[in-house]
Amino acid sequence: MDGRARGLVRWSAWLAAAAALTAAMAAVRGDLEKVHVALAYLLLVLAASALGTRALGFAVAVVAFLGFNFFFLPPYQTFGLSDHRDWLVLFTFLAVAAVATQLLHRARHHAAQAQRLSVEAGRAQALREADRLKDALLASVSHDLRTPLTTIKALAHDLGETGDERAVVIEEEADRLNRLVAGLLDLSRLNAGELRVTPEIVAAEDLVGAALQRVQGPMGGREIRVELHPSEPILLGRMDFVQSLRVLVNLLENAQKYAPPATPIDISVERDGGRLVFRVADHGPGVAEDERERIFQPFYRQPHGEADVGGAGLGLAISRRLAEAQGGSLAYEPRPGGGSVFVFALPAADLHDAGAGASPGAGG
Amino acid sequence: MADTTILVIDDEPQIRRVVRNALEGDGVRVVEAATGREGIDRAAAERPDLVVLDLGLADVAGASVCAEIRGWSSVPIVVLSARHSEHEKVALLDAGADDYVTKPFSTAELRARVRAQLRRSRAAPSPGAGGPVELDGLRVDLARRVLSRDGGEIHLTPTEWDLLRAFVSNAGRTLTHDQIFRAVWGRATGGDPQAYLRVHVANLRRKIERDAVRPTLIVTEPGVGYRFRALD
Repeated sequence: MDGRARGLVRWSAWLAAAAALTAAMAAVRGDLEKVHVALAYLLLVLAASALGTRALGFAVAVVAFLGFNFFFLPPYQTFGLSDHRDWLVLFTFLAVAAVATQLLHRARHHAAQAQRLSVEAGRAQALREADRLKDALLASVSHDLRTPLTTIKALAHDLGETGDERAVVIEEEADRLNRLVAGLLDLSRLNAGELRVTPEIVAAEDLVGAALQRVQGPMGGREIRVELHPSEPILLGRMDFVQSLRVLVNLLENAQKYAPPATPIDISVERDGGRLVFRVADHGPGVAEDERERIFQPFYRQPHGEADVGGAGLGLAISRRLAEAQGGSLAYEPRPGGGSVFVFALPAADLHDAGAGASPGAGG
Repeated sequence: MADTTILVIDDEPQIRRVVRNALEGDGVRVVEAATGREGIDRAAAERPDLVVLDLGLADVAGASVCAEIRGWSSVPIVVLSARHSEHEKVALLDAGADDYVTKPFSTAELRARVRAQLRRSRAAPSPGAGGPVELDGLRVDLARRVLSRDGGEIHLTPTEWDLLRAFVSNAGRTLTHDQIFRAVWGRATGGDPQAYLRVHVANLRRKIERDAVRPTLIVTEPGVGYRFRALD
């Protein structure tokens, strides 16, 4: 039975009850005072609005009002009244019935709301707990995955040395799986707010050098041009070295993935007011205008990109959050003439920031 | 590497096998220990030439194993660690480990690191103390404080000399920022003055590297410290 049919049955039942009550009281009309009739009807109205809806309560009240008038207030069998004071009785009855119905409705509404709120609070609590468990699980799975990955990689490497090229693929895939695991672990840590950032004074060329060293192998001989002049003063930033390195490495790896192999990647560093700005520019296809913010969302995939370029769409999302966690930023700019420029900015630092009065020679 | 004994302490049998396969043969004998306690016992009994120690042991913390062995032996210790734990690596190096390899590692990398440690422990107790050393066209004479590349003399500040001395005499070893700071400035004060270290390293690189952005002599170990290239 659907809700509508159930409502119809309920209404019919209550109206039948009103009719039955009226008939029963009409049979003994001679023995009843007006107040007995009013109280009996009021009980019916209260019962209807307590067990049914507010509308049902009002409807039963109106039916009782009419029945009261028609059958129990002289002249009988008419809607007229001989004693004008009976109007007062009648309307008082109607008002009491209406107010009682409304009060009951409101009480029920509040009860329902309180229950819903408590259910929602319980659900929010459960969601938080589920989130926490998911993160804990992810962290433990990520760590546990590294051990078998080490074995797979090592055995594949040994196999590769015997000349089996399939083993080289296995080793590459193990590396890729490892990166994916690391990405998931990072995202879960960033989501849980557990990522530790330790800002230090870092020379820009130290960071760029470490990034170049890390991408050396996978870059397969692509030219990476660094615009950094040894004659100029050393540029310094206040950053977490490890996290900033990961951002820069991610940008270089992206450029490697998306730009044609024969094209160079350009890295430049400059001081811009209070910021130390790293730019990684490629000669790839660039990013469509309406995609330029979306590329920083987790699990983003370029709509018309190649089916598989070996990522999970986590790199830029993680990188931006790593940059922001250090008081920096990561943004996209189109490269004039085609291609992408990723602008990674961090707070700049000066030498006098480095030591509070202690000169390095005499320090310690 | 004739008559060399290497002890592998790891509770994962697969990893022990990988390490054994990577290192065994050519006069190298590999002995295994499945727990930290057993590892310490075997290190005392076998007197190995090198120890490969896993960080994630179930029974004893890696740093404790490291410190315990260091208590009575100067045997080189190479640590195997999972990524994302630079703080742990620093703690281990400070506890006396000589180098670390990150999981998943390639066997070639492990072999190279182990060879470098074996060579270092068998060479002069302090590299560079015996006389001038030459690396990639760079000639370092620590005793006479003379530095030159391709015949042209390079001038260093006193601090840079101290830094270079610390690096060269620990060539092939990863030094933590704290260790470098102690070697150059006498004791680790930590905090802000330590920030100068990176600036001095950047300056030193500009003087001794062919390309300061692509250093081959002073290699950055992210989050841990620096490693000077092993002397040939």
